[in-house]
Amino acid sequence: MIWQRNSLLSIEDLSSEEIIFLLKKAKSIKEQKEKSGQVLPSLKGKRIINLFMEPSTRTRVAFEIAAKSLGADIISITGEASSLTKGETLKDTAMNVQALGADAIVIRHSSPGSPLFLSRLVDVPIINAGDGAHEHPSQALLDIYTLQEKLGDLRDKKITILGDILFSRVARSNLWGLLKLGAEVTLAGPSTLVPREFEELGARVTHDPNSALEGADAVMLLRIQHERQQASHFPSLAEYANVFGLDSVALARMKKNAIILHPGPLNRGVEIESEIADSHRAVILQQVANGIAVRMAILHSCIIRQEGDPS
Amino acid sequence: MSNNLFKNIDLLGGRAVDPKSGIDKVLDLFIRKGKIYHQPPDSSQADKVYHLKGHTVLPGLLDLRSHNRVPGAGKSENIETLTKAAARGGFSSILTMPDTNPYSDNPATIRYIQDRIKQTAKVNVYLSGCLTIGSRGESIAPLGSLKDVGVVAVTDCPYTAANNQIFTNAIKYAKMFGLTVIDFPQDSFLSNNSHAHESPLSLKMGLAGNPRMAEEIAVERSIIIARHLGVPIHLSSISSSGSVNLIKKAKDIGIPITADVSAHHLLLTEEAISDYNTSAKTNPPLRQESDRSALREGIINGIIDACSSSHEPYSDHLKDVEFDLAPSGTTGLETALLAFMEAVNLEDPYPMVVEKLCDNPHIILGISPPSLKDGSSANLAVVKNNESWQYDPLNGESLSHNSPLKDHIFTHKVILTLCDGVVAYSN
Repeated sequence: MIWQRNSLLSIEDLSSEEIIFLLKKAKSIKEQKEKSGQVLPSLKGKRIINLFMEPSTRTRVAFEIAAKSLGADIISITGEASSLTKGETLKDTAMNVQALGADAIVIRHSSPGSPLFLSRLVDVPIINAGDGAHEHPSQALLDIYTLQEKLGDLRDKKITILGDILFSRVARSNLWGLLKLGAEVTLAGPSTLVPREFEELGARVTHDPNSALEGADAVMLLRIQHERQQASHFPSLAEYANVFGLDSVALARMKKNAIILHPGPLNRGVEIESEIADSHRAVILQQVANGIAVRMAILHSCIIRQEGDPS
Repeated sequence: MSNNLFKNIDLLGGRAVDPKSGIDKVLDLFIRKGKIYHQPPDSSQADKVYHLKGHTVLPGLLDLRSHNRVPGAGKSENIETLTKAAARGGFSSILTMPDTNPYSDNPATIRYIQDRIKQTAKVNVYLSGCLTIGSRGESIAPLGSLKDVGVVAVTDCPYTAANNQIFTNAIKYAKMFGLTVIDFPQDSFLSNNSHAHESPLSLKMGLAGNPRMAEEIAVERSIIIARHLGVPIHLSSISSSGSVNLIKKAKDIGIPITADVSAHHLLLTEEAISDYNTSAKTNPPLRQESDRSALREGIINGIIDACSSSHEPYSDHLKDVEFDLAPSGTTGLETALLAFMEAVNLEDPYPMVVEKLCDNPHIILGISPPSLKDGSSANLAVVKNNESWQYDPLNGESLSHNSPLKDHIFTHKVILTLCDGVVAYSN
């Protein structure tokens, strides 16, 4: 297939062919890098703006490294350091960023739908780096990439996403991506954070920590997000750890070689026991490393496509 | 309005529909000195003659929920543009909500608005005042003083008091003055920070959901209070199928409850926000097809008494932001009548239109409904049937353009609105 999008706004929008295209591209970039230590600077002369309106370490830095690895110039603007703190609207900020000659904007924002909003205002590629509780496409792609590396074809594989699903963009993007690739997805966690309505989107939903992990090929743990919980959704972190924390007993319910993913940042002792996080079952650092190749694939596809080059 | 604005107008050959007056037939109407006559009352010539074959003439419509932005946000809407929008939509009267800035919880603010009305209004404007001070639900507003300066209804729309004791006492107190009490039923905790109907769609979009329950709990509260106090309560802008059931049960046992629904909620569902269209972000939120069809049924079988515009104007720059940062509310005065007709989808919608947009809204406010009878004040609207046109809010009268019905094709068109015998709108 030919990649035809100039923006990556969500995984829900993508076809399975498009997901596979980006994953394959990430794979070839990673192999090339491992073989020769570098990749062609195909984005040389391009200017990418990282517009990060919410705190982020991993995603922002991964996009920076990805852009630089492809020879692009990348400038990161963070919420605190931008004119948004002076009352400028996102619309005006984006128009200004476009006027400054950006070839692409990578945006992280607390408002769901804000990348789509931007894509209607400016005619440069928009890469969604996380919009509220809506989507986090690059995270899902790197998660799926890592799952494929470890498990091979994901068709009929049992993947459990455990934790704060309600407020999680990572869960939503992974749900779409995994379903499109044929995996069985279970969403699990406290009943207040895992609405039954997710069943209508194609997931299996459970609030039973035992059945959540039974026979799973992989579990993706999500951080309990204190900052998003405006209402009381569970009694305490200690209670969460007690009921849903991944310990050795819970681990034993999964398949023998089942793996553990976590998008970070990790709350040791809450979602996961510290020793398990450091064990060979956890692929958390591989996820981070794969994130660079995946983001290189995304940037290259969206920006080069913009110039009409075949890719 | 001064008499020199009166025009002699002949409305010939249109279908006049006013069932309560026993009128539903092709009838020539002669407007002279602000009144309707079925025969020319004198030899004076018409200033303007309308030949209305294929048109329908309706008695003056009243909108039960228009949000006035003066004082406070005159750039979003002022009295002149609000009333021009109403007239263009076929309304000869509106009831404005008290969420002005400052709130309409004191006689001085009401007098200021009345002054603007006197100078610029094109249609009748009835004012509501706050039920509680600042609509904060903490203390009862000076309802007697508000009544003295001409307020006809009291409400905290688009909020409602969370404190049941204050809410109950405020209603009990309002009864002394014969004020219509309007509740905007929404539990403030269950709906807190929500941006959409709670559903798989809002989950998918990552938007905090407003559950049906948030409305139904408040609807049930008002029903219980109306029963307990024996005071009529009008429920504004219901949106959930469950509310329709609760209201039906209450009416079946004689509890004095009435309700309206916005035209948007009769015509649209949550799908309207699926591309994060802030112009379709309403309060209460648009819900699902099952709600829409229950609301339509409720209108048809008499459970829901009226249809309102829920006109909430916001300047473009306030809506042209991220979805969760955009205020809830849509314009509606220019489209409510037409949207209502399309949504009820009856072979002959007009008797229903007169009941739900003219007669019942007036009765709810304790005002005698306009009529097309010989000798009545000339409050009426003329609708051209089978006229296809595309709605563009930019060509409308409202200063705001936040309509979810942008580019919608309507099949009827308002061509004339008279308010007390004066042309408020003509096309």
